[in-house]
Amino acid sequence: MEKIKQNAIVKKIGFNSLVLLCVMVLLYILFAIITPMVKVNASFVSYARIVSALKYAYFLGFLSLGVTFVIATGGIDFSIGPVMFCAALISGYLLTMKGWPLVLCLLVCILVGTVFGILNGVLVAYAGLPSFITSMASMMLAKGIGSVFTKTQSVSWPQSTDANGWYRNLVGIKAGNMEIPTGLILLIVGAIICAIILNKTMAGRYILCIGSNREAVRLSGVNTKRWETLAYIICGTLAGLAAIFYVAKNTTVLPGLGDTFNNEAIAGCVMGGTSMTGGVASIGGTLIGVLIIALLQEGILAMGFQINYQYIITGLIVLVVVWADLRSRRKRN
Amino acid sequence: MGDVILTMKGIDKSFPGVHALDHVDLEVKKGEVHALMGENGAGKSTLMKVLTGIYSKDEGTITYEGKEVEFSNPREAQDAGIVIVHQELNMLGHLTVAQNIFIGREIMNGKLINDKKMNEEAAKLFEQLGIDIDPKETMSRLTVGKQQMCEIAKAISHEAKVIIFDEPSAALTEAEIEELFKIIRDLRDKQMGIVYISHRMDEIKVITDRVTVMRDGGYVGTLITKDSTKDDIINMMVGRVIYEDPKTESAVPKDAPVVLKVEHLNAGRMVRDVSFELRKGEILGFSGLMGAGRTETARALFGADPKEGGDIYVNGEKIEIKTPQDAVKHGIGYLSEDRKRYGIVVDKTIAENSTMASLEHFMKGAFIDKKRENEVAQQYVETLKTKTPGVDQLVVNLSGGNQQKVVIAKWLVRNCDILIFDEPTRGIDVGAKSEIYQLMNELVAEGKSIIMISSEMTEILRMSDRIVVMCEGRKTGELDISEATQERIMHAATLRD
Repeated sequence: MEKIKQNAIVKKIGFNSLVLLCVMVLLYILFAIITPMVKVNASFVSYARIVSALKYAYFLGFLSLGVTFVIATGGIDFSIGPVMFCAALISGYLLTMKGWPLVLCLLVCILVGTVFGILNGVLVAYAGLPSFITSMASMMLAKGIGSVFTKTQSVSWPQSTDANGWYRNLVGIKAGNMEIPTGLILLIVGAIICAIILNKTMAGRYILCIGSNREAVRLSGVNTKRWETLAYIICGTLAGLAAIFYVAKNTTVLPGLGDTFNNEAIAGCVMGGTSMTGGVASIGGTLIGVLIIALLQEGILAMGFQINYQYIITGLIVLVVVWADLRSRRKRN
Repeated sequence: MGDVILTMKGIDKSFPGVHALDHVDLEVKKGEVHALMGENGAGKSTLMKVLTGIYSKDEGTITYEGKEVEFSNPREAQDAGIVIVHQELNMLGHLTVAQNIFIGREIMNGKLINDKKMNEEAAKLFEQLGIDIDPKETMSRLTVGKQQMCEIAKAISHEAKVIIFDEPSAALTEAEIEELFKIIRDLRDKQMGIVYISHRMDEIKVITDRVTVMRDGGYVGTLITKDSTKDDIINMMVGRVIYEDPKTESAVPKDAPVVLKVEHLNAGRMVRDVSFELRKGEILGFSGLMGAGRTETARALFGADPKEGGDIYVNGEKIEIKTPQDAVKHGIGYLSEDRKRYGIVVDKTIAENSTMASLEHFMKGAFIDKKRENEVAQQYVETLKTKTPGVDQLVVNLSGGNQQKVVIAKWLVRNCDILIFDEPTRGIDVGAKSEIYQLMNELVAEGKSIIMISSEMTEILRMSDRIVVMCEGRKTGELDISEATQERIMHAATLRD
């Protein structure tokens, strides 16, 4: 075991991520075997199923990547799901009811996320409010503002066949019977950029160090407030970006929702080995964590069970992962 | 004074690498106030922890009320009637006074807590002590002095026969101390045995009957207070032979430029009107007893804590320090006394910690130049002789002395000219200690200037060119090394105004 951990390639990828990858593959095989057993004429092994699962992973992935930065500082952001919905509602409303150009609306969509990120960051880092409460409050703000803006109406973004429908190609391009998963490419590119920010830039270095020992970083003469705020801004902006992938998949957005996606995004992040106490974060892990959640959801739907089973399983997995993380920490100290 | 109630004889206790108590004796009689004195680290608290069962002793006997005892935890000691009134108050601020006094042994009415009865009982206790406190008041609304009274009431409610006061007056005002003394005298008249730990010579003369002095974990002697002078006690406290040669002469020229000047620095209760100068190439020692305000002065100067007033000049130029960022920008580095909390990021590597204060110099465009970072970190591992397999080692895996070297490296990489070393050798083994001394001497030889806060007298006398002595937030003395002696420093360190 120790030998495997010391292997150069394993070290590069990270032992935890590797284990997680194995879990994902095993889960896929498991669903492939069980699905035909519990539901007659159903099959899990198909390209369509993979594409469907992936589409769920795109927007969730961006949410989860963003919240990874916040959790790395030792904070939490419970507003990302509703912020994503709020962004989709506002920009969608401007597009469909006000006739704003699509490109501008996509920018507005991202910007709404950024604004919420700035709000959370400033309140947590500069005003010193607890991130838990702050993000709960901005979650309600996001829900409320989104609903008020659209006059409590749902917003339907254009269909693929409409004039403005090209944005849906962001998640997948139809090519005959097949579909090219463009979203996967974009998500991976996004994850690579996030990994570079986290591991190779000053921002990432200080965000992680703040999560480990904020006072020591501050007493080294570092502007900790600025870097902490930045983590929330990255998180909010990615929630805005996630909104684009959400509407590209679903087109319709309902007001006053979005909280369930908080939990799933945070669960993906935690599963991936990012520590809830801060200081340790893995972008690769987050990505795999999100894919596992998407796979779970797809598998449970394929078997014809109701979606709530997915929540139960995800909840249990998160508990096990957090417990294991805590144990390994105690051992080290 | 009555019969002996408590005798500790030949108490011996070792921790890995430290002989904390070396055959210490202590005898307490009924109806006496017995002072326990000694410098920081003399072993007073350790002795009391052995008595109350927090530590187990290696050797020796404890006789209490004629029987040999050994308590395995403070609860057992408490039940037998030995209680400590701690220096830091262990109170829950949002509960009421009565709830605090009866915490852990609430008076019950079936399954419910009987607050009414507890209030009555507490009121009775206060009446007995002659203190005016409302048992229904929320604890956090009381002054520190009143909270201390509650601690005492709590101690008495355990039917205590021996009460240990661990520096009870440290946070009290003059009037509150008077009230405290009145209570202590009452308790003495009720034939309780009282152990009184304090650094304050004047109080010892006023309130105690006998004094036991400890030094370096050993027993020095016991005196009758009224038959001895302040100087007798001080001589017993410091009378150690210094094995390491103290500095006799400062090598810093008298006209060396002043690199740092602090005037009338004020920050809270612990930093009151502190002024001093630091010259180029000088080690300025800050001496004083625990709680003298030395660390607080350093932190206020460095911008770690807010200050109320005071002017700071670096190289003759007046500067504004509001945050540690400002201090670092002006070339000031601070090595905290609490490395783990304020110095290092333990689950990051040596390289990452080394560049923590100067990362902007290690950027290549938007990215950190990890190659150069590792090179520089490696270079400092070699100059400081940090023992580690490599710079990618996590700091958590290093020993205390090597962790300290990483913190030093952080400020050397930043190239700070003014360094504040707060207890630089605390918790560090002897070998690493002399390496750090040598390093400090090399740094001042290069023209850097150092403020060294230290509670070890030998360290102060060995390293400093000049010594500032503090007591209760004020500067109470400034000595050139050529005129400094342990006695003179100790005198200044116990000066109250």
